[in-house]
Amino acid sequence: MDIRTPANRFLFSRRSLLRLLGAAGGTLALGDVAPRSAAGQEAAGLPAFTGPGASPYWNSVGPWVSEPQKASLLLLTDRGVQLETPRSYFQTAFTPNHAFYVRWHLEGIPNAVDLKSWRLHIEGNVAHPISYSLADLVRKFPAESIAAVNQCSGNSRSRLQPRVPGGQWGNGAMGNARWTGVRLRELLHAAGPKTGSPQVQFQGLESGGGPEGYGSHFFMKSLDLSNPVLDECIVAYAMNGEPLPMLNGFPVRLVVPGYFATYWMKCLTWIRVLDKADDNFWMKTAYRVPDTPRGNTTPDEVKAGSVKTIPVNRMPVRSFLISPDGDAKIPAGMPVQVRGIAFSGYGGVTQVEVSSDGLKTWQPARLGEDFGAYSFRTWEFTWTPKIPGRHTLAARASDGKGNTQPDQPVWNPGGYLWNRIERQDYFVGAAE
Amino acid sequence: MRSLKRYVTLLLGGSIMLGLAAGLLLAQVDQGNYEPGTLGQLQQAPPAVLSEDSVYQVPAYPLYPPQMAEGEGRAETEGFCSLCHSTRYITMQPPLPAATWEAEVTKMRKAFGAPIPDAPAALIIKYLQAHYTPDTRKP
Repeated sequence: MDIRTPANRFLFSRRSLLRLLGAAGGTLALGDVAPRSAAGQEAAGLPAFTGPGASPYWNSVGPWVSEPQKASLLLLTDRGVQLETPRSYFQTAFTPNHAFYVRWHLEGIPNAVDLKSWRLHIEGNVAHPISYSLADLVRKFPAESIAAVNQCSGNSRSRLQPRVPGGQWGNGAMGNARWTGVRLRELLHAAGPKTGSPQVQFQGLESGGGPEGYGSHFFMKSLDLSNPVLDECIVAYAMNGEPLPMLNGFPVRLVVPGYFATYWMKCLTWIRVLDKADDNFWMKTAYRVPDTPRGNTTPDEVKAGSVKTIPVNRMPVRSFLISPDGDAKIPAGMPVQVRGIAFSGYGGVTQVEVSSDGLKTWQPARLGEDFGAYSFRTWEFTWTPKIPGRHTLAARASDGKGNTQPDQPVWNPGGYLWNRIERQDYFVGAAE
Repeated sequence: MRSLKRYVTLLLGGSIMLGLAAGLLLAQVDQGNYEPGTLGQLQQAPPAVLSEDSVYQVPAYPLYPPQMAEGEGRAETEGFCSLCHSTRYITMQPPLPAATWEAEVTKMRKAFGAPIPDAPAALIIKYLQAHYTPDTRKP
């Protein structure tokens, strides 16, 4: 298979380490020069980092960057690539591909994929291992489409108190797309998992320089074969009707509706039926949440070692105030259309409410078009602020399972599952 | 001569009137403010050069090395950490307690198998604690 990645470029020998230290010298020199412009920009812009308090900003604070097939996005890290979607792209129910956030774990990601040799393999504990080309997937199976939100488990991590290490996302590690592809169940059926197989593992074209058997070598995720979400999973070759950008997982990625994005394997190449539960780093150690209501715990409980954890799974209900974004004054007495989005991994958004009096009373917002239970749902609320000064609006959503966003914060050491009620300050000025 | 004088008077009067008008306008709005932009700091990508074969490719992903704090252990930190990831993973973090930095370096060595010997590992921890905690991080 001709997959050009920088994977395993760094073998852990003394020689390569020395070579790298030499390369770092080059980096160092660059680092001394580059910030001239960056510093100039940062002087007039946001601070380079936030904390130790919670970040007060809607998005993460990194600079704008230009990456292949992408509009200008906000940089978290450049190798592995992590990019956040700016707030303004959430004014619509569907997030454009070129603005869709990016989160890789390891540095070895594809710059090129040759579809002549690339195959999707269904293998492992199956009766008939089988491989499909992209053309096979498009031609041999019925095309299925679903609108579904892809949200990083650590979206909004920069809100946690105390702060936790990890990708310091604002709210933009999410996006909604219409995904089109083949039902995962059909592919599994073609290979025939052997009875008693507990899990199915997914692996894409992502690897790193770490030693074999470590999380720094391969990124792999698994789901139970008995999990009903498998019936809704799609192996998607189209995103909003177009091929996936390389950074979002060309040629195909797994879509797990309602689940956090950690399972949505990009550049999916191996679907592997396992004969025992997956104990690789990314299942056993990473992406785990406390087995408590909302995944909440405390630093003390973690220190005491008393927290039982489970793999992160469905996304709790959330809503966001998108526009206006608070950067312009609003004249008193003028009706303003406040717009936002909401979603839930638990059966669709049923209601969004807005409060303008510090969460004492709530008024219903008008919901936009329903694109399905796993999609963003847009909402709108007409607000007429009467008195000049600082006003705060808050929005909360409820879902089909009867969950309503609470105002209590969440804390766990991974920085996952944040879904506290969002607020936006607005400045209202005198109109005469 | 007379006509010239009249012309000057008209001109002066006109200027004063214009000035008054501008003054009135300035009381209502602020106009014509410009300042240097950020031209060239984010360049457009050139058009892709494509062929009709089966290879689908994108250009190299850009690197943006951050400015790391000056101090003992910087070279080791940049060298060893860059084995697997860019040092933006460090500069992106909020100020973290000294114990958290030690735990992070230990995680990289034990959980991720990073080949950092004891001596440079201790230096790296000391460097991160000297520049990236709530007490030590500079804006």
